[in-house]
Amino acid sequence: MSKKSVAFILNAHLPYVRHLEYPRFLEEDWLFESISESYLPLLRMFNKLKKEKLSYTFTISLSPTLCCMLTDASLQGRFNAYLELHKELGEKEVLRCQSEQPEFLEMATFYLDSIKQNLIDFNDLYRCNILDGFKSLEASGHLELITTAATHAYLPLYKDYPTAINAQVELGIQSFLTNFGHLPKGFWLPECGYYPGLEETLKSHGISWFQVASQSMLLSPDKVECGDYRPIRCPNGVAAFPRDYQATSLVWSNSSGYPCDRQYREFYRDIGYDLPMDYIKEYIHEPEVRVFTGYKYWAITGNTDQKIPYDRSLAQAKVAAHAANFLYNLKKKGDILSSSMLKDPLYTLGFDAELFGHWWFEGIDWLEQVIRMSANSKEEVTLVTPSSFLVKEGELQTARPAFSSWGQGGYSSVWLDGSNAWTYRHIHKAIERMEELAVRFNDQISLKQRFLNQAAREVLLSMASDWPFILYNKSSTEYAQKRLKDHLRNFNVVYGNMCKNAVNTEWLVKAEKRDIIFPDMDYNIFNPKH
Amino acid sequence: MILINIDSLSTTELQYIAQQEGFENWQSLDREELIEELEEAYGEQDDEMLASSLKGKQIRKRFCNSLTDFRGNQQNVNGLPGVEELPEIYAETAIHLLLRDPEWAFAYWSISPATKIQVFGEDDQLGGELFLRISVTDKAKTETKSFDIAIGPHDNQWNINLPTLGKTYSVTLCYKDRKGMEMALAESKELQTYAPYWGDHFDDMAMNPQLFNIHFSSVVTKEGEIVDNAVLQEIAHTLSKGVL
Repeated sequence: MSKKSVAFILNAHLPYVRHLEYPRFLEEDWLFESISESYLPLLRMFNKLKKEKLSYTFTISLSPTLCCMLTDASLQGRFNAYLELHKELGEKEVLRCQSEQPEFLEMATFYLDSIKQNLIDFNDLYRCNILDGFKSLEASGHLELITTAATHAYLPLYKDYPTAINAQVELGIQSFLTNFGHLPKGFWLPECGYYPGLEETLKSHGISWFQVASQSMLLSPDKVECGDYRPIRCPNGVAAFPRDYQATSLVWSNSSGYPCDRQYREFYRDIGYDLPMDYIKEYIHEPEVRVFTGYKYWAITGNTDQKIPYDRSLAQAKVAAHAANFLYNLKKKGDILSSSMLKDPLYTLGFDAELFGHWWFEGIDWLEQVIRMSANSKEEVTLVTPSSFLVKEGELQTARPAFSSWGQGGYSSVWLDGSNAWTYRHIHKAIERMEELAVRFNDQISLKQRFLNQAAREVLLSMASDWPFILYNKSSTEYAQKRLKDHLRNFNVVYGNMCKNAVNTEWLVKAEKRDIIFPDMDYNIFNPKH
Repeated sequence: MILINIDSLSTTELQYIAQQEGFENWQSLDREELIEELEEAYGEQDDEMLASSLKGKQIRKRFCNSLTDFRGNQQNVNGLPGVEELPEIYAETAIHLLLRDPEWAFAYWSISPATKIQVFGEDDQLGGELFLRISVTDKAKTETKSFDIAIGPHDNQWNINLPTLGKTYSVTLCYKDRKGMEMALAESKELQTYAPYWGDHFDDMAMNPQLFNIHFSSVVTKEGEIVDNAVLQEIAHTLSKGVL
């Protein structure tokens, strides 16, 4: 009987959003929703299985921008306020459902209990820093934690700027070291964006492996032997793990993936949009901007606006069926592959962590079932991490992955189209100028050092893949455009002032206060000679 | 060196800077004295002198320079003086080429005012033409072909079709005067595309269903939908004639 291995890699990433100048800021909810609906419930699930002594291993990439926000005392405080507000809404909802909509009472109570549990976990268990939860699971051997580019830049579009590529990689790794106390073995390529040669930078920083898009093997200039079912070694020795698009699509396809099942919870029907303004006003954004509250009572039902109420027990039965189906597919496919390849297959699956719990409400339960079924039934599908796989299976084929990404079209067209191509003229110029500043004013101290460090932060923040993605996707475009332009304009303040031999101190202290990311930044990282 | 708005800093902040600058008496100075001393120190010392004289004294490790705890900031940073709109283009003559996918690249360029005058004349009296010259070099770098794309004086970006996989491309921003004399204004860096192995060896796969399964089963959904990628879909299309 052949042995099949599956490596789950979850990419936990959010762009750096922190606006203390406002009492509440809409885009900060991206973080709060992710902590509340994905990260804390994921940690609960992992800890439950650990307590039961179930054997499992997962890989999680925690982006430096996310880590920075998760460890920020102000944002931690604001997250507590978010939880308290949603607890208050939950209490109000339980009362309302008791009298007006008893069919929703079970879910209202469920959400309220989850919020209360989140408050306990966040404050008592993790003392507001949930990275401790991930660290502890890593220490016990259940998680492999890895890093990604400093601000999650889509790297192929910065190929001509090796200093900037190096800064993204080096700072990503240093940030990981600061947060977790050791160096990472793996590196999540943002958006699976790979270009030939990128592995050289990764190797120079001690990285052993990275993940790539599915088509990078079939489109390789070399004859890859096992397709996406085994990692390859790049000519410099760093391993590349290709995603299995088919297995990933069982979950992630927006037309046929498990989360589309009609009995699962409908994400888009939320009381933030459904209930009268007078009732919901205090729990949405000013001035009367309706947003998701997390209180959702309807099932997907089908392609109709006539939804049926969500039934959690029916959904849970589906979760078990989908987990079994998933493992069945892997086993069945693996049997055929093993005999053709004469090697056991490895399925590498990469997902955004926020898919589980936040977008796909039942996703964490599904992961739990997959772990339970693979562990308890001694099935031939074993959970591994890329690092553990490399230890066991040292001999890999040497080949070159092809230029690729996981975006639409499989290359760079999402991050370089009519909506966002204009940004590169400015970002590239900022990188060139940052390099110039780092050479002209190397090893400065005090004010000038801080001024230059802030410039480096602004350049890196402008490189985040989130802004061009949002522009392409046409959601929150105003905010993305403002953020991008602000970082570039802020950079120009430093450049303009340094060229005039000046430091705008007022600007500096305020900019530092606002974008407090990477406190250990050293602008000399942009010096090509460094 | 000029310190802009230094009087807006808190006393603690000024003391911190003075300490960093190596003032021995930083604790005994009052606010006014701190500002005065700092302005004097920065004003007197030449930038390079300051940098080189202090270089030996400070041993700093990368990522070890923490921020201080600053006073509150209620104002939006972007409303501050000194923050200006981004220019539409930059005053330089340069061209950049970005690979969008193996079939398309995106070029953006700028022409400095001085170069513009040089090639078009003060009032555009020279009436020349701008064009992009795309150079295509084969894998062995033995042969380079090129083709031109006419562009207008106000264009500053273009999507360029890359006709063949496995070639190296670069683009030159060129000018042609009325007499037909050509001049290169700026040249981009090269970008390389790679021909997939299976693009030239699909016969092997077409003859071997097992090989086909190894390579294609991961890029097609259970419903038979192939991953969204033009090159891969072309290989699949070619193969479908022999396998499916």
